[in-house]
Amino acid sequence: MLVIEHLVKDYAGGVRALDDVSLEVRDGEFVVLIGLSGSGKSTLLRCINRLVEPTAGRIVLDDVDITAARGDGLRRVRRRIGMIFQQFNLVKRSTVLTNVLTGRLGYVSQWQSLLAHWSEDDYRRALVNIERVGLRERTHQRADRLSGGQQQRVAIARALMQEPKIMLADEPVASLDPATSHSVLQYLQQINGEGMTVICSLHFLSLARTYGTRVIALKGGRLMFDGKPSEIDQRRFQEIYGDDAVEVEIE
Amino acid sequence: MATTLGPTGAPPPPPLTPKTSTEPSSYDHLRSARLELARHESPRRRALRLGLVLIALAVLVKGWLVTDIDLGKLSNASNAAPILKALVQPDVLSRDVLPLELQEPFIVGAGSSGPAVVSTPAGQTLRITPGSGTPGQTVVFEGSGFEPDADGQLRLLNPSRGVDVLFTRLHTDRNGSFREERVWPDFATLPPDIYQFKLVINALTGSPHLSETFLSSLGRMGETILLALMGTVFGVLFSVPLSFLGARNLMGTSPVGLALYAFVRLFFTITRSIEVLIVGLITVVIVGIGSYAGVLALVIHSIGSLGKLFSEVIENIEPGPIEAITATGANRFQTVLYGVIPQIVPAFLAVTIYWWDHNLRMSTVIGLVGGGGIGFLLIQYMNLLQYNQAATVLWLIVIAVTAMDYASAAIRARLI
Repeated sequence: MLVIEHLVKDYAGGVRALDDVSLEVRDGEFVVLIGLSGSGKSTLLRCINRLVEPTAGRIVLDDVDITAARGDGLRRVRRRIGMIFQQFNLVKRSTVLTNVLTGRLGYVSQWQSLLAHWSEDDYRRALVNIERVGLRERTHQRADRLSGGQQQRVAIARALMQEPKIMLADEPVASLDPATSHSVLQYLQQINGEGMTVICSLHFLSLARTYGTRVIALKGGRLMFDGKPSEIDQRRFQEIYGDDAVEVEIE
Repeated sequence: MATTLGPTGAPPPPPLTPKTSTEPSSYDHLRSARLELARHESPRRRALRLGLVLIALAVLVKGWLVTDIDLGKLSNASNAAPILKALVQPDVLSRDVLPLELQEPFIVGAGSSGPAVVSTPAGQTLRITPGSGTPGQTVVFEGSGFEPDADGQLRLLNPSRGVDVLFTRLHTDRNGSFREERVWPDFATLPPDIYQFKLVINALTGSPHLSETFLSSLGRMGETILLALMGTVFGVLFSVPLSFLGARNLMGTSPVGLALYAFVRLFFTITRSIEVLIVGLITVVIVGIGSYAGVLALVIHSIGSLGKLFSEVIENIEPGPIEAITATGANRFQTVLYGVIPQIVPAFLAVTIYWWDHNLRMSTVIGLVGGGGIGFLLIQYMNLLQYNQAATVLWLIVIAVTAMDYASAAIRARLI
């Protein structure tokens, strides 16, 4: 279980990105984060794996205080939290295999990684995860030769190498076309079906309704709504996105 | 008469834009829109602008005077003619020389006589008319059947008197002939006796082959390319580790890192600011004249420039992959290894090749201060006024630098 208590993040320059956010995420949930650009979705996700340092508050994952973790402890926490990004964030010049193996870096020693000495077990996991996202024939191609959707699937395989307990996804389909978006989200849904918690920020409410078991809305860094996708009606929608907003469907 | 557009009575064309409530004001009454706009510029700003222009002008005038610019002196360009002429005649090819000798007796002091003629079996002939000479008499020397365009000399011999002098130099024409006329000197110079005229024609023989100058210059050029390579390799070895410390995106996360970053960048700037030739003056004192001093000078200068270029490559990488790899639980070292290095390797190679190319240009002049390489040869030839030989060196430099420039551009285009 992931517990977030009174989380605050102030950026330099006095911008408060998160303002006293508290929530609990039970194991196996598919939480969709919605809200306008700048509402704090990315900051919240990045605080969970400490890519962003929270200003105040506490985040606890299964009785481990993430916010207090240092050094090796932080490393152990991070490897239990997978993350995928809007821009995929693959190393473009490296092969699919190398990118996927990178997901094991939290487990191997400095020397092993210097010599690129991966264990038989690491290779076996890479094979399984590449197969799983349907890119077996692309294993030895450079990442930048792949389409956007394929790159995002490589990113999923990389995150799966961590054997994470939670998967964070920061706008994972915002750079993809609608058909590819569904394919990527279906992979996340499948992973979620196997028991992994997913916390995913999305722009389209229709996608949130299709894939989420729970929707959390942020506005100006504050928690606006927390409930079932079906509970978001026209009034709530305008509360979250503003009075001028019109809902756009993605097929 | 007023000019009218279109037939009279036609309705005026409709306005292009519909009139709206916020109608723009009309400036039709203005005589000059430029003046109207200039009016809003404050007098202080205008004065400042005028002041800056005047200062710039004053600096340029001072510069003209200080640097002794004198366009009139350009009329002395003809002084450089021997050098420029030599440029089109570099010493590249040479042929071996085979001397051909013809000897003919000649009586001094006797009266007029018939011509003296001597020939080789191959038909090369020397004819002296007349075959004897008295002071004031005109003697004609003619030759034919020789190698065209060959140099030669006519010597006058008398072993018993100890005479062996150069009588005249000559040059054969396109047909291999020559003709020289001389007025015979008085007896005080050449007492009456029987002398021998010896004609020596230096016929070029065999096919042209590469000259000694060219071969030794070529060897020096090879040395220069290797000098540049060594300077680059060691420059890279020292600057690559430093460049990580000089990259703000890697070091800017902590105050200690930022301080180290500032220190490394300052070090880069200082080593870069001293030109190779100046560094060379110092290294020559330390290790003596030769290529080693040149290599050291290149290395010291390269660290600063390469370090800065490498640091900038690192600063321009995509931050996304680093973020993603950090998120997997990789430590800082692993993040650099898997997130930074794959992104920078091609650009680092490109910078290195570019720098080898740059160092080649530098190492052609490092010889001027004793740093070895082809520049050393060039300055020697120039000091000895051997312009044809210097031209050989110059052309080799032009060819090598151009080829390297081209090759490095082609390789870099493939890398990036």
